[in-house]
Amino acid sequence: MNGLGFNTFIYLVIIPALAGIVILFLPKKERLIKSLLVFAATLFNLITAIRLFGLEETWHTKWGGLSNFGIDFALRTDRLSMFILLAVGAMAFLVAFYSFAFLRDKDYGKGFYFYYLITIAFVNGAVLANNLVLMLFFWEGLLVTLFGMLLLKGRHKYPTAVKALTLVGVSDLALMLGVGVTGFAAGTLMMDKITAIPVEGIAVLGFVMMMLGAIGKAGSMPFHSWIPDAADDAPLPFMAILPGALEKLLGIYLLVRICLPGTGLYEFLPHTPVSTVVMAIGALTIIFAVAMALIQKDFKRLLSYHAISQVGYMVLGIGTALPIGIVGGLFHMVNNAIYKSCLFLSAGAVERQTGTTDLKKISGLGAFMPVTMICFLVAALSISGFPPFNGFFSKELVFDAAMESGIIFYIAALLGAFMTAASFLKLGHAAFFGKPQLPEDKKVKEAPAAMLVPMIILAAACILFGVWNSLPLGQLIQPVLGDAMAGHNYAGWPHTPLLVIISIIVLILAIANHFFGVKRTGKGLGAVDHIHYAPGLHFIYNRAEERWFDPYEILMVISKFFAWIAYGIDRAIDWIYNGFFVWVANSVSKGLKEFNTGKQSQYVIWAVSGLLIVIFVFAVLVK
Amino acid sequence: MDNLLLIITGSWIALPLLVILICNLLDKKTGKSWALPAAIVVSIGQMITTGLGLLQLGLTKSGFINFTIFWNVNDFEEIARSAWASAFFSVDTLSLVVMFAIGMVSLISVLTAKKMNPDKALNFTNLLMVLIMGMNGLAMVADLFSLYVFLEITGVASFILIALYKDKKGLEGSFKYLIMSAMASAMILAGIAIMNAVTGGVTFSHISGLFASGSSLHTFHAISLVLLVAGIAIKAGLAPFHGWLPDAYESAPASVSVLLGGIVTKMAGVYAILRLAQDVFINAKGFNYSLLLLATVSIVYGAVAALKQKDFKRILAYSSISQIGYIVLGAVCGSPLGFIGAMLHFFNHATFKSTLFVNSAALESQVKTRNIEEMGGLAKQMPLTGTSSVLALLSTAGIPPLAGFWSKLLIIIAVWQTGHSLIAGIAVFASVFTLAYFLMIQRKVFYGPAEEKFAGVREVKGGLAVSQVMLSVITVVMGIIFPLVLLFFQTRGMI
Repeated sequence: MNGLGFNTFIYLVIIPALAGIVILFLPKKERLIKSLLVFAATLFNLITAIRLFGLEETWHTKWGGLSNFGIDFALRTDRLSMFILLAVGAMAFLVAFYSFAFLRDKDYGKGFYFYYLITIAFVNGAVLANNLVLMLFFWEGLLVTLFGMLLLKGRHKYPTAVKALTLVGVSDLALMLGVGVTGFAAGTLMMDKITAIPVEGIAVLGFVMMMLGAIGKAGSMPFHSWIPDAADDAPLPFMAILPGALEKLLGIYLLVRICLPGTGLYEFLPHTPVSTVVMAIGALTIIFAVAMALIQKDFKRLLSYHAISQVGYMVLGIGTALPIGIVGGLFHMVNNAIYKSCLFLSAGAVERQTGTTDLKKISGLGAFMPVTMICFLVAALSISGFPPFNGFFSKELVFDAAMESGIIFYIAALLGAFMTAASFLKLGHAAFFGKPQLPEDKKVKEAPAAMLVPMIILAAACILFGVWNSLPLGQLIQPVLGDAMAGHNYAGWPHTPLLVIISIIVLILAIANHFFGVKRTGKGLGAVDHIHYAPGLHFIYNRAEERWFDPYEILMVISKFFAWIAYGIDRAIDWIYNGFFVWVANSVSKGLKEFNTGKQSQYVIWAVSGLLIVIFVFAVLVK
Repeated sequence: MDNLLLIITGSWIALPLLVILICNLLDKKTGKSWALPAAIVVSIGQMITTGLGLLQLGLTKSGFINFTIFWNVNDFEEIARSAWASAFFSVDTLSLVVMFAIGMVSLISVLTAKKMNPDKALNFTNLLMVLIMGMNGLAMVADLFSLYVFLEITGVASFILIALYKDKKGLEGSFKYLIMSAMASAMILAGIAIMNAVTGGVTFSHISGLFASGSSLHTFHAISLVLLVAGIAIKAGLAPFHGWLPDAYESAPASVSVLLGGIVTKMAGVYAILRLAQDVFINAKGFNYSLLLLATVSIVYGAVAALKQKDFKRILAYSSISQIGYIVLGAVCGSPLGFIGAMLHFFNHATFKSTLFVNSAALESQVKTRNIEEMGGLAKQMPLTGTSSVLALLSTAGIPPLAGFWSKLLIIIAVWQTGHSLIAGIAVFASVFTLAYFLMIQRKVFYGPAEEKFAGVREVKGGLAVSQVMLSVITVVMGIIFPLVLLFFQTRGMI
């Protein structure tokens, strides 16, 4: 073990956690010290991740009684985890930098930094863990910080926090079950010892449960519906870092861990039923989330639906189990982390400068906030899949894999791309172009530099990863697959010209659709109203807005039904105890009381009857 | 050392008699003023000496001490073999535990009686001494006839004590007890006579040899056993022989209620059952089964009948019937564990039932009523009484970690293990009822809405307060160290 061994990678967990705890004990007013501490911790985290890059080691120690159950404190780094750690480090650093300006006048800064650093520690821990139970420990710890962050804005945010806790908790529960079954099926909990468990018998349950845990963390359907609510209720940097980046990184990390050909936990092959199930989840997530995003009238809420739908592409790509799909999924994960964070950060800049993200109240901001607008445009073009930005290349890889796995999935992905483009055309048009419209009493100017710098860096990364896509693909992603690549190299221009042409046609259609909509309603915000209010779709959209399709709401209805039944049973049992038994006991007792008249003769009669009982007992037993 | 032990054991009989002599031979005034302090000295002395005795048993790891009191004999075994030797005693762990309880309850009773007028005080002390002597004798007897004699001594003293004030109610209660006791005496005496005629002896060791395990019962043995069981059941107040018990408890003066409820009826009936079940009729099946049945009936009857009572003392009386059932259940279920449970429940019952009678006395002296319907919200004015009664009630209902929980648990486990799972289930269920009616008392008396007319009520002071504190401490401490006590008894071969 060289100088960069265990001692270094355990710091990825310890340093952010310690810094977070120190912040908890600092007085509320010490903003500068706290900011510096967060800056130092996240910078350290990033530098360590960079220094460790390329290291492939395992390390483990036994501890106390837990080791008897195979739960060692075991860590490892390999290509996949180093890549994820690097992405986590970079995103965490940039968003922390952004937060200093954003949170300057907010009173929940201290709590945010505390949870932020603990979250980073836990994410690092979960990625580093080589033992499934240890990973589960860090993974579940994130639930705590998630809940805490959602409550930062005050007690009245409880419904959203509880909703997130419930949904993520259910997926974590699935993961816990999955870990148990996997450990049972493999005979060990050490992840590096588990390779390619055949998905049959009990292992099907293990696979499905672990997969649900992974995509649930990533925010895929059906565990998604807390994210749009959080967009309304949580501090914006939270949206940028957790649903925007870290949760995707972590969820997809585990999904790849499970599915990676050759070295994954399970034997996951193309054209198998499990592969189809995963792809179907991905495709459905794309379609439904993006369809909801299309009609949103709020900057952050719109983005949050995209945070869900983009997961669909990653899950779809990895679900194909083809090298090209997995490469595409991972590439899309990185790209999404970059442009989605950039988009959320620009939403934050708008919110901070104008005081609202309601698109009905603001428009034409481009004149006042040009840098924000440019960053937004770059990220929006990336997510919409315009060449030569990074989203285009990763999406093309996923399209390629989807086409190979089934045309239906390809069509779903394509439909998603159309709606993504349409919704961002609408969003960009409504927010930054058109006639300037501002909330009253507001003098809008450009956001402070501390907020612009991370946005600019992220926007630059969008371009860099697009134009020079052999950098991420060649250095970061394709090595993860190792031998499974079989000599392929997906860097450079997409290899299937037909699909590129179709994609570009779809983008042109989206633009045409946009102009049609704008002309019809006369404003950017109404660009997709003809879809929103189309016969049939209108009805479905209304139901969706009323949360008819929200799994949480459905869960609540079901649980209310059960609660009603349980209440009835409870009342009945209660009546037996509090009504029936009491009545019986009271009437018997009353009868006995009246029976006891205080007459001596009666007592003698009882005693004689008692004597007869005793005689009877003896008579029966002696004979 | 042996001689010292003999003196101590002898003093348990002789010392009360000595006190009677001294108090009555002195001139009236001195005698009256010395009476209660002397009684306190005797009670405390008994607690100390029995405690030392337990320690001695533990240290020597011997199960019992044999001795005689009226004449000294060198060869105890020889006397044990001769069926006619009279008045010789044996002291074992059970005797010492119950004698400690006798000392404790007597002390409480005297403390409760402190405000009594001097004339009554002398009478009370005389009778109490007779009572203590009778109960101590009962605790140490080793033959049936001595058992009968001490039962009568205890009985006669308690008849008079109940009617100490010669009021109508007291006389009525006393009379009822007397009549029923007379029946019991006749039955017990007849039973002993038949036993003696058939077997040719009355000592425990002699009789127990005749009931070898598995042998069928001789008809005359059976008749004798029926009479003994019925007679002792009357003395103990097992349902349906219990008629006299609530009336006697209710009508007795406060300090006498403490004695009666805490120890006297338990000694007269329950101790006799414990002793006979353990040493004499351990293999006599009819004895065990009939008492098992009566005990179960008592548990249920006492618990249910207590629910609708309005008088604090009557509730306690019915609760006593129920608790007696538990002790008897443990004693006759036929397992050593049950016997241990019964012995310790005997002690715990003495503690918590005395507490409750003291509470009742405190309420009666401050609120001037015993009707629980009229009381309410008294915990504020009488925090000591409230707290101690809560502790005692919870101990009675068997709530951990109070003392009553452990002994009840042992009994129920033992009953279950010996195969009487139905009875064990009933016992648990009745325990819930116990909790129910005691919580009802709590709510009505101490924690309900405060009544206007009780605004001036103050907490009791002096003897009542001391008794409540002392008993509560014993209940809690016994509960906490109970496993240690059990361990001590067990490792020292005392049980």
